[in-house]
This record gives sequence, C-alpha cells and structure tokens, in this order.
Amino acid sequence: MSDQNDPMAEIRASFFIECEELLEALQDGLQELDDGSEDPETINVVFRAVHSIKGGAGAFGLETLVRFAHRYETVLDEVRNGSLHPDSEAMKLFFLAADQLSDLVRASRDDTPLPEETSEELLGRLDALLGDEGGSEEVEPADFTPMGLSLSLDLPDLDAGPALNRITVRFKPEQELFATGNEPQMLLRNLAALGEAKIRCDMSDLPLLPDLAPETPYLQWIVELETEASEPEIRDIFEFVDGLCEIEISGGEEDSAPLAESAPPPPAPPPEVPKPAAVSPPVAAPTGSAPVASPPAAPAAAAVADKDGEGDGRKGATAAKSVVRVDLERIERLVNLVGELVINQAMLSQSLDEAGLSPHSDAMNGLEEFQRLTRDIQDSVMMIRAQPVKSLFQRMSRIVRESSAAVEKDVRLVTEGEATEVDKTVIERLSDPLTHMIRNAVDHGLETAEKRLAAGKSKAGTVTLTAAHRSGRVIIEVADDGAGINRPRVQEIAVNKGLISPDVQLSDSEIDNLLFLPGFSTASKVSNLSGRGVGMDVVKTAIQSLGGRISINSEPGKGTTFSISLPLTLAVLDGMVVNVAGETLVLPLNVVVETLSLGPDDVQMLRPGAYVVRVRGGFVPLYDLGVMLGYRSSRKTGEGSIVLLISLEDGSRAALVIDGIQDQRQVVIKGLDDSFYRAPGIAAATILGDGQIALILDPADIIAGMGHIRGSDFMFSERMTANE
Amino acid sequence: MTAPLVLPPKLDLPAAGPLAEALRARLDGDLEVDAGEVTHLGALCLQVLLSAATSLRAGGHAMTIRHASDRLLEQMSQMGFTPETLAEGREWA
Repeated sequence: MSDQNDPMAEIRASFFIECEELLEALQDGLQELDDGSEDPETINVVFRAVHSIKGGAGAFGLETLVRFAHRYETVLDEVRNGSLHPDSEAMKLFFLAADQLSDLVRASRDDTPLPEETSEELLGRLDALLGDEGGSEEVEPADFTPMGLSLSLDLPDLDAGPALNRITVRFKPEQELFATGNEPQMLLRNLAALGEAKIRCDMSDLPLLPDLAPETPYLQWIVELETEASEPEIRDIFEFVDGLCEIEISGGEEDSAPLAESAPPPPAPPPEVPKPAAVSPPVAAPTGSAPVASPPAAPAAAAVADKDGEGDGRKGATAAKSVVRVDLERIERLVNLVGELVINQAMLSQSLDEAGLSPHSDAMNGLEEFQRLTRDIQDSVMMIRAQPVKSLFQRMSRIVRESSAAVEKDVRLVTEGEATEVDKTVIERLSDPLTHMIRNAVDHGLETAEKRLAAGKSKAGTVTLTAAHRSGRVIIEVADDGAGINRPRVQEIAVNKGLISPDVQLSDSEIDNLLFLPGFSTASKVSNLSGRGVGMDVVKTAIQSLGGRISINSEPGKGTTFSISLPLTLAVLDGMVVNVAGETLVLPLNVVVETLSLGPDDVQMLRPGAYVVRVRGGFVPLYDLGVMLGYRSSRKTGEGSIVLLISLEDGSRAALVIDGIQDQRQVVIKGLDDSFYRAPGIAAATILGDGQIALILDPADIIAGMGHIRGSDFMFSERMTANE
Repeated sequence: MTAPLVLPPKLDLPAAGPLAEALRARLDGDLEVDAGEVTHLGALCLQVLLSAATSLRAGGHAMTIRHASDRLLEQMSQMGFTPETLAEGREWA
C-alpha cells in the first residue's frame, strides 16, 4: 500500500481487504453454527472463508498465516464432512481461532510481530479435537475389514439422467502447491464431490526411494468425472492453486472420451477396478495392477450434498451485488472536491444575490437547480463512504468474548441493526469508545452469576448492541440487563473524590452523568478489564470529537443503556450561520430548537452572574455566546437581544445570546489541524460563500464548559429544565 | 521381520523428509508399517511410501500397511489408493 506503483503491493492490499470480508463471513458463520444452524452451507461458508485466506496468504508467502489457516481448516473440514460434531467448547475454540486468524491477518498486513505463542496453543487445542477423533478410531480392529463403508455406489447410477458430462481432469501438483499449505487430497475430494469420480494416480515419474527428493512432487492424478458440473465449476475447485499445478480438463460431452486422451499414458496403465473392489477386504486387490480406488460411498454422498450447498452459496454470492473496490484516498479527494463545489456554489449564489438579479430570472432559477444538484452529488458521495456497522459490531463480539472470559461471567451479545450505514471514518473512530463501553457493561454493568440468579434473572447476562438511523443521525446503543447504576454509591464516590460537594442534591440523571467526569471510577477493586484509569470521560470525549453525544439511561435492577448519537458524516453539516461580536460563527442546526427575541420580562437573575430566560412557562439558563467565547466582556442580555434556544442530546437546554442570524445553510466541515490549540467549544471551521472562514461551534462543549466553571449553576439550571 | 515402522500422526510436507530417511534405512527386508496413529496423509508422504514400496518390491521384499484408521482409508481413497495398492508401489521394470 505504501508504494502505489508496485502492482504487487496493490494486489496484496486488496488481498487484505478481501481478508476482512472473509473474516466477517467467518464470524457470521461461526455465530450461526453456535446458534445451532443445521444448514450445511453454514459450515461451507466458514470453511471457505478460512480456505480462501489460506490460499491468498500462500500466494504472498505469509507462511505463519498459511500454517495456522491450514490447520484450522483441517479441523473445520472434519466438521464439514460430518466426522466432527463441535460441542460448545469446540465452538468457543473455533471463535478463538477465528480471532487469532484475524490477528494474524492484521499482523501480516501491518508487518507487526505475529502472535505465534497463542497460535501454537490454539493449534494444539485444535489438533486435540482431531486427536480425540483419531483416538476413537485407533480402537478399530487391526484388520480394517469391517470399515463401515459398505459400498453400494455401484455402476447402476450410469442410468442417471442423460445430462451428465464426462470430464477427464489431469492434475499434477507442483512443489509450490505444497509449500502454500495445499493438499491434492482436498482438491481431489472436492472434485469427486462433483459427481461420480474415478480417481487414478499416475506414478510413472516416481523414482525409487534412494533417488527420491521427498519434497518434489512426482505424482499426478487422472480423475474421470461423470458430473452435472460444467468446466468452469471444475476450474473453480482449482481456483486457489492456480499456477501451483498443471490442470488439464478434457471431455465435457456426453460421449465418454477415451480416458487417457489427455494424460500421458503411464508405463503401466492402471486398470480400473470397480468401486466395490476398492474397499473390499485385502484379498480383493488384484495383485500386479496399479492402484485404483474410488471414494467410499458415505463421504461421497455427503460430499455431493456439500457441493450443492457450495454451488448455491457461490451463486448467491455472485448474484448478490457487484462491487468495485476503490482506494479510500480517491474517495477522500472526491469528497473534498464536492466540498469545494458546495463552497463555490455558495459564492456564486452570493454574488448573484449581490448583483440584484430578480429571484424569477433564469439565472436564479438555474442556480436553484444547481443547488439541488450539488446537494444530491454531496449526498451520493457521502453514501460511497458509508459502511454498515457490521464489521464494528463483529469486533465487539470478540470484545465480549474476551472480557466475559476475563471476569468469568457468562455473557451473550445480541446485535441489532448491523446493516445501518455510517461514514467509514466514524466507524473507525468508534471502535475504541465502543470497546470501552462494552467492557464496562460486561465488567460493571452485569452482575455475577450468583447475584443474577438471586435476583431471579437468567444466569447469562445479555449485552445488546443496536444501531439505527434516527432523524438524520445514527444512534448506537449499548445496553446491559444488569443491576443498573448504583446511584448512592456513585454519588458517594464523587463526593469522596471531591468531584461534587457533599451537600448537593442531584437528580438521578445528574448522578448518572457523574460517570462521565474525568477521574471517576466505580470499580472498588481493580479488575483486569477496567480500572485502568481510563474512564467514561474518555469515551465521552471521543464521542464528542465525532460530533456525537452520549447519554445514559439506567433502571435499578433492570440494566443500563448508553446511547451514542452521531452525525451521519463528518464532512458536511447543516448549520445556522450567526454573528456574535463581529464574528461569523456556525451552530449545528440540529441543536437549534427555536429563535427568540427577548421581551422586557423574559430574563431573570438567579444570582449575580447567573441568568435564566423564561420560555413557555419554564426557565432555561441564559448564556451570552460572545462572553463565553471571550469576544466581549460585558454581557448583552437586554431587551430585543436575539436568543437561540438549543437542546442537546442529553435533553438539557440552554439559551444563547447572539447578535444576529445570517443564514441557514449546509457547510463543509474543515477540520482544525491538531497543531492548533484545541479551543473549548470549537468543533471545526468552514469556508463561507464569501471566502470568509467561520468557526463551527460545539454547543454541548460550550455548555459543559460552563458547567465546569460553575458546576452548581449548571446542575441547577439543568434540573430546572427537567422540571418544566 | 523386524519391528514395525510406526508412522507419526501428521504426514504432511515437513514429515516427508524424515519419513523418507526412516524408510531408506529399512529397505533391506520385508517391512511392516504401522499406520495406527496417522490422522493425516499428505500427497508427499504418500509418494514417499509408494516409492519405498516400489523399492522394496524391486529388491524382492514386501511392504504391509497395518492399522489404518477409517479416516486414513478415506484419505487414501481420495487419492486413489487402498493400503494394499499403496503397499504395492508402482510397476518397476
């Protein structure tokens, strides 16, 4: 990726992107299996995901990845062919292995050290799953005559439908095929699963043992296949070993082509042995003939079913959607260009305005159309960047698994609304705060199994992660069905830590919000998970930096819900452009509830420095934006002042005094470089139609800032609002 | 006949070299191969066994494969072999 001109790097990068999708499919499949899915396609999907990762990794020489995927796949293969029935412990192990696989993929992608120790441990446990199986087989009597493979797969099926193709496949693996962790046996098996197969091994190149180089392949196989499958379907089987073997496919007509047509005739032409003979007791093997065997009946039947599933799956996958992978940078550039377009359009509209054109003139009509188009383009571009939150949620299911294991709680994660789309940049930056919230829910939110049982709840706790679009924003909720916030305890801690004064009376929601204060932690004992000094305040800051809000809703005994509300995109904003003390500022439109002009008796002083404004029978704290931002020192709250009534996500309201309202328009958000001092209350900047730069305000931060400065004032005013 | 040669459980690529080594040392008489522990037979080890069987037969000796599990039988069969046909190796003029 670093070198864009290197085609190999590009292919490699796209392999890793594909890996992410495969890992997602793997997680989905495992989840379905865990939920008790009986659909054979499910295990196929799981198997294919691991297999595809292995195939790609092999092509890039990622040996550790190949090795892990290979052994993981071997076990999954046993599940696939029905000889291993995973219990819940095995499923847990499969999940762990999937996590490990994704770690290995990411480490390989980022060239970071591979977590090999964990790999070894997991591989050992995976092998043990096979080992047990093997163990049971070892008890088989020494002469394997009674193999339960009574073979009725006799010739009669020659009378099957006339649509069968007779295809001969010659397959000669090369050394690289083995080096990349592939095995001919698996390919041959998949081939045999396509129909009736006669498999012959051509050993004509095989030297005597003293001359044999053990890692050089000498064998080739000729498979005579009677199948409904077409040649492309057969080629599909060899998709991952493309270039690692010689493949010749001939025939395809109904008429059977002479078998040896495409294969170099071996010196000792192996006579065919009818299927039953292949598995009959030792005596039946004709001496002096070259070896021939056919797949035993039962696996073949299973494999046919398997093939059907696989076929459907592939069809489904290809029919679903056709997509183009585009470098994110190109999209970023497009987004920026569209941003410029919006600014340009605003400039044009301003200059047409100033030219004094009639609103009914052609130019103005055209401009309107132009505006609409610009907006459509912008929406479409934003949609390109939108991604379903599913990948994020899957990462969270891993967090739940790991954190519940760490605190020894039985936790179930329920996800809803995985298809909800959010801007990619938002998704990326949500991962950390969400991780923290999930850990919190598992560690603090949910009670221990004993306490749950005592409270008449199920032993396993549930954490629910939901995403939904609501009025132009994305709402993500993390809910647990735990004991709810222990409010007296929270208040006590806040008092002990000196965060609030002991005599202050707080409402429930105010107490809940104490969790977001810096330096707050309720964990009386420091567990592995939380108590690292990173509190909910960090989560809140992270969410706020995304233009989002976080709120809590907790019911004693029933659980706690954290809601995050986020803008759909970080690139544009519907804003209200206002003047304050000669400065042009932008307020996010979604927080503005209404605009007021102050009447003679609207403002009341609570005490010096603290004012409230009467709005429809209630009181709302009044702040002068100019003073809060330091543009002027004296307050301007007189009659006739213009006031914006804003309402924040957490339900709190405030009235902001401004000097004038300019416009309501869409602005393009230009992030402030990190090297700038992060001014409180300022979220970003934008360029207006006249080329002027305007700051975009973060009202919640401003109000919270006021809360910090005069905590009790803020609390008081908020409660007052709540009581309205 | 001397003690049987016990095959390791995983006969994959890394096992091919050591297996060939072990078999080269046993080409001077009839050989019994105990496959009881084998859970995976890869094609490279398969060809080592085939080559050994061929060499033994060329030298007038025989190979026997014992205790193959169902799983191993299935794997052999998928590559076109039974323990007997495997133990015969290829025709060697």
